[in-house]
Amino acid sequence: MTRRRLALVGAVLLAAACVERLTAPGHCPDFCPSGQITVVDTLLTTSINRDSAYRGYVVSYQSPVMLAAVLPSATDTLDGRPIFRFNGYGPRLPISSVDTGQILGADSARLQLYIVRRDTATHNLRLQFYRLPTTIDTTTTFGAVAAAFNNAPVRPTVNVDTLLAQPGGKDPVTGDSVVVDTVNHRWLLSLKFDTAAARYVGTDSGAVAYGIRIAADTLASIAFGKGSVGPVLQWYLRVDSLGMPVARKPGILGTTLANFVFTPPTAPLDSTLAVGGVPSARSLLRVAFPKFIRDSSQIIRGTLFLVPAVAARGAPADSFVMEARTVLADFGRKSPIDARLDDPIVIHPGSTDTIKIEVTNMLQLWAADTTHPTVFLLRPQAEAQYFGEIHFYPSKAALRPTLQITYVKQFPFGVP
Amino acid sequence: MRPAVGIAVVAMTLLTPSPRDLSAQDSQFGIRGLGTPGRWESVRARSSGGAFAPFDALSPLMEAPLADISTLTATAAGGTSHRDAQLGDTITQLRATRFPLMGVAGRVAPRLVVAGGFTTYLDRSWDVTLRDSTVLRGELERYRDEITSDGSVGDIRLAAASRLSRRLAIGAGIHILAGSTRMTAERRFDDSTFHAVGQVAEVRYDGFGVSGSVLIGVAPGLTIAGWARADNRLRAQVGDSTVALTDLPRMAGAGLLLAPSPRVRFAGSAAWRSWSNAGPGAFDTWSWSAGAEFGSGRMPIRLGVRGGQLPFGPGTKAPTEFAASAGTGRAFAQGRALIDLGVERLERRGGILTERVWTVLVGLTVRP
Repeated sequence: MTRRRLALVGAVLLAAACVERLTAPGHCPDFCPSGQITVVDTLLTTSINRDSAYRGYVVSYQSPVMLAAVLPSATDTLDGRPIFRFNGYGPRLPISSVDTGQILGADSARLQLYIVRRDTATHNLRLQFYRLPTTIDTTTTFGAVAAAFNNAPVRPTVNVDTLLAQPGGKDPVTGDSVVVDTVNHRWLLSLKFDTAAARYVGTDSGAVAYGIRIAADTLASIAFGKGSVGPVLQWYLRVDSLGMPVARKPGILGTTLANFVFTPPTAPLDSTLAVGGVPSARSLLRVAFPKFIRDSSQIIRGTLFLVPAVAARGAPADSFVMEARTVLADFGRKSPIDARLDDPIVIHPGSTDTIKIEVTNMLQLWAADTTHPTVFLLRPQAEAQYFGEIHFYPSKAALRPTLQITYVKQFPFGVP
Repeated sequence: MRPAVGIAVVAMTLLTPSPRDLSAQDSQFGIRGLGTPGRWESVRARSSGGAFAPFDALSPLMEAPLADISTLTATAAGGTSHRDAQLGDTITQLRATRFPLMGVAGRVAPRLVVAGGFTTYLDRSWDVTLRDSTVLRGELERYRDEITSDGSVGDIRLAAASRLSRRLAIGAGIHILAGSTRMTAERRFDDSTFHAVGQVAEVRYDGFGVSGSVLIGVAPGLTIAGWARADNRLRAQVGDSTVALTDLPRMAGAGLLLAPSPRVRFAGSAAWRSWSNAGPGAFDTWSWSAGAEFGSGRMPIRLGVRGGQLPFGPGTKAPTEFAASAGTGRAFAQGRALIDLGVERLERRGGILTERVWTVLVGLTVRP
């Protein structure tokens, strides 16, 4: 009997301690709190000022790609040409574990190149290879090698589309081949250079330098890989062995310089806000962040509006991502970037549509940390990897940058 | 005897409230106003419709009945409610567990009993969701709001009572109103471009009140009771800022107890409260109750009904409520521990809202 009573009381107490459920649909205004969430949307037209643009953050030889392009416009043609150099083995090559022999020359060589970005709409893509002076370096300009590009190509033109159409991507006549890497979306070209094209001059330490010009039926703009996906050269040499020439296949050589030159040269910065290009340009926009938003509201959306002064140049494949970031301290062109937040947007060449970038995260950061500089930094996500460059109207122009902020006022907690 | 003590210990443990649970029964009618007023009744009184509250020493409604407490007595109550809130054709099932009462009283002089404890003054626990849309940046944006309040305003009472004669007992008390609610306001847009809104605040409340009461034995088996109370204002603070000052009601009530035999007792009571002081949307309220208790000692049977008005609601008329209740009790350990059980069926009506509530009540009284 006592146990039954205990069980009964226990059950009642457990029922009394059960989880609560209070959520109910509201029927406003009769059965809702008197206070409501108030959303305000405001356009700040004069809050962005003291903006400036800077160039030179990443230059061509620091780029992880080599750009090649032929992009005509109304006033000129953007012509980009990769240039690269391989150092040689010197005048002699080991022929046994103890002996070396003089390098007599090259039978041939095989050059491998990766095309890491291309426009799928580009047809009849052709590559021409030129021998360049081995003195090329990171300061070499388009004009410095223009004469070398006026010489005859060192080997027949490579038509990539034709090569792709060959069975297995191999041309049995020229010995060229192409492999399509569908995973990484790149092409691996393997090109045969004959004795004339691959001249090994041992007295000149065997260094060779080449330049590439491209052409296509339409806008041509591609990027060659560098570094681990950069050009490599396999020499097939003839070496003297006690008066007898013997064939040798030494190790593959990577480039000691991989760069690109282009014309026309990048124009000096003007009053517009430049982003992109080579060398890469960035722009700083300083924001007078209203205290009434910063101190007593919650930002739920912020959008930065930028009006292009001119369209970005390039082929459709040259669309590049511009990102808005903020800085840890405002030191002008040397402002350290706050790596925590970024808001990206794709810039399409040829378009002059107003650019809208969602910058909510950064505005929320500024509201939370009042010591944080209220500065937007605009830069290309991949600097110096696209010729594309966009210019926006600055804060002194009529079509100045504006900031639209949607925020919520402080909820009237405690008011009956 | 040992099981009885064990039950008492377990029950006391379960009924010991955490601060956020010091609330009474919630109601959607209290969302727009100050909250849902608490019931200043022990489980014994509430099981009989509240009619016995003016005569019950363990109910914090009146102080005068404390005069008849002979030994140190502690009491606590808990209850769980299953509530159906019907708004038009939509019925939402809600559930809450509350611990609305705890008190201790003891005789400190031959003619003086003092008591301390708390009860719920206003319950402010609710959670409202709302689906709506608004035009933002030229587009219709749909969103879902959720506004919650979790907490209550407690009434901490210090009371004293004295039996001046066999027929007359008086009492008085001071009431410190204190409590807090944790409030949140959230909005989530369907369009994730708009970030979610989330605001939180801790709202603190304070106020003060005084009360007095009298118990008069008119004739053998017939007792009448009267009480009055005045509270000043409820101050709401967020951080260091006072966000609201709301006048609180004055109130008065009376009761009648008829005990034709030791095993049969009838009671009735009525009360008036000037809640309209609280501002627009608040109403003065009348409430009444009638109840009976049969049997004594080991297992009495309690029955009661009550009705009246709620102080906050839409429109120009106060919402109404009606409840029927029943309960019993059991004494253990030679009367040193008492467990009271009760069940109440309540219906509230106002505008398009109807609430139907089942409440199970458990009370524990210990006289060590």
